[in-house]
Amino acid sequence: MRTLREGWLAYAGAAAAGAGLVATGLLAGAELDVAWAPTLGARLAFALDGIGVLYAGLATGIGAVVLVYAARYVPLHLDHQGRPRREATRLYAFLLLFMVSMVGLVTAQDLLLLFVFWDLTAVASYFLIAFDRHERNARYAALMALLVTAITAVFLLVAAVLLHHEYGTFSLPELFAVAEPGPTVTTAAVLIALAALAKSAQVPFHFWLPRAMAAPTPVSAYLHSAAMVAAGVFLLARTYPLLEQSRLLLDGLLVVGMLSMAVGGVLALTRDELKQVLANSTIAQYGYVTFMLGIGGASGVAAASFYVLAHALMKSALFLAAGAVSETTGETRLSRLGGLGRDRPLLAAGTGLAAAGLGALPFTAGFFKDELFFAAALERGPAFGAVAVASAALTLAYAGRFWLGIFTGRARGERRRVPALLVWPTVLLGALVLVGGVAVEPLARLANAAASVSFGATIDSIPSYHLDLRAENAMALATYAAGIALLVTSRLWSPFAEAAARVGERVGPERWYDLALLGLNQLSDLIHDVEVRDLRTRVAAVLVPAGVLVALGTVATPAAYELGTVGRGDVALVLVLAVAAVAAVATTLPRHHLTLVLILSTLGFSLAVAYAFFGAPDVALVAVLVETIFALLFLGVFALMPRLVLRREAALPTRPNRRWRDPLVAAVAGFFAFVVVWGALSRPAPEESVAAEHTRLAPEAHGSDVVTVILADFRGLDTLGEITVVAVALVGIAALLRRGRLW
Amino acid sequence: MVTTDLTQLVARLLLAPSFAVAAAVLVKGYADVGDGFSAGVIAALGVLLQYVAFGRREAERLLPVRYAPAAALAGLLLALAVAFAPLLRGDAAFTHYPRAGTEPIHVGTLELITAVAFDVGVFLLVFGAVVGVIRYAAEAGEGRRA
Repeated sequence: MRTLREGWLAYAGAAAAGAGLVATGLLAGAELDVAWAPTLGARLAFALDGIGVLYAGLATGIGAVVLVYAARYVPLHLDHQGRPRREATRLYAFLLLFMVSMVGLVTAQDLLLLFVFWDLTAVASYFLIAFDRHERNARYAALMALLVTAITAVFLLVAAVLLHHEYGTFSLPELFAVAEPGPTVTTAAVLIALAALAKSAQVPFHFWLPRAMAAPTPVSAYLHSAAMVAAGVFLLARTYPLLEQSRLLLDGLLVVGMLSMAVGGVLALTRDELKQVLANSTIAQYGYVTFMLGIGGASGVAAASFYVLAHALMKSALFLAAGAVSETTGETRLSRLGGLGRDRPLLAAGTGLAAAGLGALPFTAGFFKDELFFAAALERGPAFGAVAVASAALTLAYAGRFWLGIFTGRARGERRRVPALLVWPTVLLGALVLVGGVAVEPLARLANAAASVSFGATIDSIPSYHLDLRAENAMALATYAAGIALLVTSRLWSPFAEAAARVGERVGPERWYDLALLGLNQLSDLIHDVEVRDLRTRVAAVLVPAGVLVALGTVATPAAYELGTVGRGDVALVLVLAVAAVAAVATTLPRHHLTLVLILSTLGFSLAVAYAFFGAPDVALVAVLVETIFALLFLGVFALMPRLVLRREAALPTRPNRRWRDPLVAAVAGFFAFVVVWGALSRPAPEESVAAEHTRLAPEAHGSDVVTVILADFRGLDTLGEITVVAVALVGIAALLRRGRLW
Repeated sequence: MVTTDLTQLVARLLLAPSFAVAAAVLVKGYADVGDGFSAGVIAALGVLLQYVAFGRREAERLLPVRYAPAAALAGLLLALAVAFAPLLRGDAAFTHYPRAGTEPIHVGTLELITAVAFDVGVFLLVFGAVVGVIRYAAEAGEGRRA
């Protein structure tokens, strides 16, 4: 009962996700299209097409399983760390947010909408990975995942804008209908592919995924098997009609896929931590998918689609199993595990099915994922067939290493009791892998529906077992032989694999990431140091560039500046302004704060007089009032400061480098401000200015004082913004003087 | 602080007139010089004078100064309400009623329009904020001397 009360959000979420899964099945083909921002041409367009059903089904189905698992796992996880159990609710909430964004993402039919959900998943993943926020590793990993996936997400936005600029629509179906091969489409497709590859942790963006294993296991099981990383290949599948416009881009995907298969496969063989093995395996597995999309064509797309479905089932099962294993034994490393099969046969069976599926053994859904994979690779050429066999052998080897290392051999680690709900999700998913291996048709139909949407034509080939020596079967046999050979000879190759992994750490992209981050931080510190060390440099940083720009403008276009004349009627105004100028210069002289305040208000009052001469009584009134109250408040504030501090500050000598720098800055900025204002005011006023229009419209708005009408009506929104600032200032002063108590 | 009887007398005498002038500036804002902002500052100056002449304790006994931040908040809410209420009727934000061209209701020479309500919000906010700052500063000064 207690766990039910504590985990209510997880169970309710799981129920909702289950309902979502059922709804996904029932509502397949449904569409929703509502205007969102008509002036931008953005619509809230969703459709539950083949791709939507496949990925939304994975997001809700595996999401439901993971939430149930999390409801038992996360409280244990928090207990180990001595944290209160109620923090688990945060994790459930973000898992649900992630699930909703994922469903939104995979059903969106509008590029802008796609981008919004894309970023939402990144934000949710940040909080999920950083759930153990007291650990530096977790925070580092979360930031890395966010930066890698969110910076590249900007490419997606740029691509959307590019396509909109060219074709005038954000709608994906419309774009697919009109897009033709050309530089714009190619550029946009490359940008989209970059965003997708970063999200799917493909080389060279793969480094964030192993780091993200700092997340609690249910998060890894969900995000890093079926959801977040799947979002990348989803995007490739969704925008496939754009990608296939450029053969070169598809070839690029092919290369990235192969690199990811190699890097992920080799790393997975060297890692000792359970979750690290799985994370690197995920890199390799999504490499397969990228590779197959790069091959393209009906067989490539269909194979990719089936692969995503089969892999999500197996990989989430393996992650959940890894969590159950480490809860049972208290160990997370293969080298300290062993012999668990005798004590936990059920867990061993479920995990075994999933691992067998990953290794593509017969009677699992995994067999068909490799059959399709081999067929697609062979279609491209025999060399690609060889690559396919090699990487499948790697997969079999690390899947075997994972399972054999945990469940066979000498018994090691503790044998704690764990809740049954930590074991059953693995068994359930493992059983699905088995069922998919016997009756593949339902899974294949789901995958084909998605592939048909990508490919733009119906695909309905269903894979099946053949008891003959066709090429795919021969390749499968070769894979088994090579995989078992790899497992048996691990002593021989492991030093080389370890060395390769170390080289990757030393010069790999993660190091570039660290260097780039460090460099950016240093640049930011440098600019901060130059610009905002003290008030003077800060003001100078604004004034000097402004003055220089105006100077350049004046020198470049002297004809644009007119020099007006001073008439007899202006004498009074000029006198007032002269007083103001004298006061302004005088503010630089006094050493005592009180004198300074008085001179400043002299300056203000003389400007108020100038406004009065200009025939602006409203402005003059406000200027007088503001000057009065500010002078008084200034004095009040100085009364708050300790006398000693004021006296000491007043006695400080001017630093030598300032003696010339500050007047120079003031002179440059002041002179060119004078030039631009004088030039602007000397030009004859345009016939129908905004001011004239406001004056004309004021009586109609029931006012005769045009300034008030502008403030309260024509430019009301500005006024609202300004008075909000006043309210914020009040809160700020309350925070400084009385710890935020307003009353 | 040392103040003479004369200062205190003048300060007390000026309080009511400063409020009256503020009220006039406020309601006449649409027809003549001045608006909610000016009115707020004028009224706040009247209150500030009391602080200078009588000190914090006496000024706060005389006037309900502690409600100033609440008044500021109420002013902001009023301004927001007047600004965005038209959205409920399907009009653009900052649509003022009666609409242009239609004759407003008169009370004497005063015209009732929602723009003035917005200005009242500005007045309350400025008045409340300035008086609030005066009060916080006076309080802090007293704490420092004690």
